[in-house]
Amino acid sequence: MGAEVRAEVTAEIRDAMRDRVGLGWRPELAAGILASLDSIDVIELIADNLFDSPERARALRMLSSQTTVVLHGVGLGMASTLPVDLKRLGKMARLVEFLKPESWSEHLAFVRAGEIEIGHLAAPPRTRSTVEATAENIDTGRKMVGTAPKMENIATLIDPPVSDLDESEWLKRSVEASGAEMLLDLHNLYANALNFGLNPSDFLLRLPLEKVRQVHISGGQFIGDPVSRRLLDDHLHDPPDPVFDLLEELAAVCPNPLTVILERDGSYPPMGLLLAQLELARQALQKGRARERSEVGTVSGVAVC
Amino acid sequence: MNDPKLERFLASLYVDPDLRARFLKNPNEEAVRAGLNPAQCDALKGIDRVGLEMAARSFARKRENKKS
Repeated sequence: MGAEVRAEVTAEIRDAMRDRVGLGWRPELAAGILASLDSIDVIELIADNLFDSPERARALRMLSSQTTVVLHGVGLGMASTLPVDLKRLGKMARLVEFLKPESWSEHLAFVRAGEIEIGHLAAPPRTRSTVEATAENIDTGRKMVGTAPKMENIATLIDPPVSDLDESEWLKRSVEASGAEMLLDLHNLYANALNFGLNPSDFLLRLPLEKVRQVHISGGQFIGDPVSRRLLDDHLHDPPDPVFDLLEELAAVCPNPLTVILERDGSYPPMGLLLAQLELARQALQKGRARERSEVGTVSGVAVC
Repeated sequence: MNDPKLERFLASLYVDPDLRARFLKNPNEEAVRAGLNPAQCDALKGIDRVGLEMAARSFARKRENKKS
């Protein structure tokens, strides 16, 4: 079999494990989502909203029997030198058992320290200690839930103090030490790149892309005065064009089929606009895959010559 | 290793405006008071002040939203 034919077969195998696009479930979007299931490959449920609401969980179990569902946690705070809260983790384990999602995910963040609740995702100091402790917490999660969570990079407005690793190195080490796969949030990556003076494309290429299986896209807004403004990832705005460009770049280099979820947490536009954004994501994936195929073909051609 | 102390101190800085104000006036004094080691105290002197205020406001809004 020639190199070009082999490349084509490889591409076909990958296409069989196709890329998918989906949307985060929010009660405000429920009617639109249910009316558009033929255009949405995957639905992501926020686990924490269901922990103490058996009625909601039962209703969404119906949904998980009709379409592919993934579960997303926001409150475990696994990137911490403190052990993950076993009570919360137990709730996640029971929800995974009940809903049987395709996978579950959490954030590379800390959200509390003892009784102090920060209220949202905070970037831990990027050190070897937090890499090791994060890996231990993920291992605890794997043991209690039965599968490892996919771990998501977070957006941060503050450059985390007392860090001795840069973000890409810390993410790479955390993913490698834990053996977890990665949920890559492209708007978080974009926001951190803009906020801390990095080139988003270079930043992307320094990440462990062979570990990426899921992707988040969303939007945000600039806050602060013009001199020191920063991009806040608020999920209240449409994903900007550079996020779709990053998705195309990712698809051109990532060897895995990708599940891309659009996150929207308010200022909801009409459902048609959200579906159009899913279509833009599909197009970006297709363009990236086509680039990858053409680059593989070129390399194969050179090898044959 | 006193990283849990560091996380606790950072979490307190994010949620407690009075501590944050005292810290921004004299970072070393508050870091020492929190029991952080000299390297951590030293690193905190160069904290991203703009980011600290923005992050603290953002976290406060999130906590308010959760209450409502």
